[in-house]
Amino acid sequence: MAQASIAGAGSAGQNGAPNISLVSQRTRAWRTFRRNKSALFGLGMIVLVIAIAVLAPLLAPYDPIVQDTVNRLERPSSEHWLGLDHFGRDVLSRIIYGTQVALIIGIASVALGGVLGTAMGIVAGYFGGRISSLIMRVVDILLSFPDLITGLLVVAVLGTGMTKLIIAIGLTIAPRFARIAYGPTLSVKEKEFVEAARALGQRTRIILSRHILPNVAGELLVLASLWTAQAIRLEASLSFVGLGVQPPTPTWGQMIRDGTVYLTNFPLLAIAPGVALLFTVFAFNLVGDGLRDVLDPKSK
Amino acid sequence: MTKRKRSVALLMSFILVATSFGGFLGASGAGAQDRETLVFGINAADIGNLDPHYASATQDRAIVDMVFNGLVRFVPGTVSELEPDIAAEMPTATENEDGTQTWTVALRDDVMCQPSSETEAYQLTSADVVFSLQKAASDDTSNYASAYAGWTVEAVDDQTIEITVETPVSDALFLPTIANYSGGFIICQQPFEALGADGFITNPVGTGPFMFQEYTPQNSVVLAANDDYFRGAPALSGVEVRFIADGTTRELALQSGELHVAAGLPEAQWADRVSEQEGVVVDVFGVGEVLFLNINTTIEPFDDPLVREAIMLAISREGHIALSGAPVGEAVYSPVPAQLMEGGLTEEEATEADVNYEQDTARAMELLAEAGYEDGFEIDLVTSEMDSYRLNYEVLADELRQIGVTVNLEVVQHAAMHELIRQDENALTFYVAYRPNADVYLSQFFTEEGGVTNFSKYDVSDLVEEARATTDSAEQAELWKQANINLQQDFAGYGILLVNQVYARQDTVDYGHELNAVINLYPGIDETTSISGD
Repeated sequence: MAQASIAGAGSAGQNGAPNISLVSQRTRAWRTFRRNKSALFGLGMIVLVIAIAVLAPLLAPYDPIVQDTVNRLERPSSEHWLGLDHFGRDVLSRIIYGTQVALIIGIASVALGGVLGTAMGIVAGYFGGRISSLIMRVVDILLSFPDLITGLLVVAVLGTGMTKLIIAIGLTIAPRFARIAYGPTLSVKEKEFVEAARALGQRTRIILSRHILPNVAGELLVLASLWTAQAIRLEASLSFVGLGVQPPTPTWGQMIRDGTVYLTNFPLLAIAPGVALLFTVFAFNLVGDGLRDVLDPKSK
Repeated sequence: MTKRKRSVALLMSFILVATSFGGFLGASGAGAQDRETLVFGINAADIGNLDPHYASATQDRAIVDMVFNGLVRFVPGTVSELEPDIAAEMPTATENEDGTQTWTVALRDDVMCQPSSETEAYQLTSADVVFSLQKAASDDTSNYASAYAGWTVEAVDDQTIEITVETPVSDALFLPTIANYSGGFIICQQPFEALGADGFITNPVGTGPFMFQEYTPQNSVVLAANDDYFRGAPALSGVEVRFIADGTTRELALQSGELHVAAGLPEAQWADRVSEQEGVVVDVFGVGEVLFLNINTTIEPFDDPLVREAIMLAISREGHIALSGAPVGEAVYSPVPAQLMEGGLTEEEATEADVNYEQDTARAMELLAEAGYEDGFEIDLVTSEMDSYRLNYEVLADELRQIGVTVNLEVVQHAAMHELIRQDENALTFYVAYRPNADVYLSQFFTEEGGVTNFSKYDVSDLVEEARATTDSAEQAELWKQANINLQQDFAGYGILLVNQVYARQDTVDYGHELNAVINLYPGIDETTSISGD
């Protein structure tokens, strides 16, 4: 991806010679991205979310799992800015620690689903024939289910817990990556440089990883950023229905679920984690849109 | 007048006459029209089984209570007094020479079996009662068969039956089994046989103040007034039981006037807040369901009494009660609740017997160290997703964390939890239950007879059998208390709290009785329940 381009061709330098500078494709992409204020704002939000997750032990005023049932449902005060939940746990601390769970699940599940789905899509596109038919029909079947239903089915089979949840969401996401990787692979495999690589006797694994993958990576990166937001939302949805990370680990979905019981008298219990979820999902969506504008402008 | 005009005039006259008749007919039916249908929002997603001999979920018990009668019944709004229901008078017992005991029950002669889609209404006779009690006693047709083991039921004549039990029992043990609860509900033979066991699951037919009319899955069950009810026609035209599992939705529906009665949250804060709303009354009443801990005495490391004692000392009753708050949550000092029945331990009795364990984290950690677990240990527990279980397990996990025991809690569906705990999945098992007397609590949970629900594998059979064998109520109660002391002394079980029922109603609703306690876990809606004009 280090192909160079000539910028400023035609403009004259001080000595009258053309002012030629080499700008990498990556630099040019970053410049385009930087001009997108929304995307830049989203990136700032993500940095903030990551900082909160990393610094949670320093930022959280209380241990998020320590209970004080006698003082449960205490309203916001100078000691507990967002009050105490139904177990008497500090809501702010739980939201801060919940950031860790959201990011871990969001990123890990997209990584898992991305690797698996991309491999399926590239293999199907490159080899064609029966392998392609088999893989893509499985993908079609999986895509026919709504995400939450697929997630519920996988969780029902695997059980609950953070690792299982990552696998469940990863498997839900994988068909999307497979579908996106499949199309470009079909056209890239016919290019001369791929044929040249084959003629030189390069191994299939090398061709797939060094020649096909880099040429479909742009669209996959866009998908990854958008699906990180979806994965976080899916985690919250599964936690909301009680199939997410197990208590007492703080998760936003579980907090929203528990808070709905007190919606009429203490709505902050559901609204506060809801805002955290909205903020994070919005941030990833902004960045995803920005990346799409840069890497895949045709699909805009 | 032209022909056309005459026709129009004739038509108008006909409409006027018809309208007058309509008004007249309407007026004649005004008695029925004046009555209102009570709309009752219950905390459930759907029915389970409306055959009263299987009904166990709260929503099922509530519905069958309105449709069926027992031979005797708990006086509405109480669980401490019984009175005749289908029986004409309270049954009497005679001791037989062969050591058995016979209870004679004379039946009222004005009890009508309700009509069904397959059968006409008819007068209930002893044949129906014999059929019903035999059905209740059979494992194939009842969930409560064990309560009727060793019974022989015979019809003496159309209005009299005799029940012979192998071992004489006291009033306190016998009468609740023929009351309006579980297997004691009387099913009419003809509609049951006509509808079949499967049909009866969603189409119950009894003798009570309300008749089954319509069932819409996951939405509602509609009951209509049974105007032939032997205590008189109900003041309501019917009852619509709506399944609304979400508490906030029920609360909003009550506020908007869509519901007359709504199941509340079992929390004092909720009761206080909702009772401040204009036109709404919140009732907190029994019977409370008891939360008690069962420790499996055969599984490592809980086979060591030191570890079990440490667990007891880690628990704070106050911490668990705070989840509900007084008066919704009340402390109990043994698995059998002394507030509700004979045989339970009061605070004084538990303290005197040295089985009222106060939370003492430091001592608990010493005990664990003494048992060789100075670094604590890790256990896996499953809990139902239902708040009554999940919240208490989460509090327990926090209590045990404080003494170095790590609990890996897995939340599963309610039915799955019940299945798993019966396979000894949990070394520490919370159970939430109401049972009508100490004998049922103790035999179900702390004897071999209890089978898979003897979660602690602890056995107080000797005391339970001894208590059954005596007809002296005082002696019986003492034996039950001793059983409670034993199981807590050996750290096998531990009574923590009971959670009372919380229901809200429009202030126009009058249940027709004072609400102290209702055995079927709802306010008790009968022929006297009414709605006054808004």
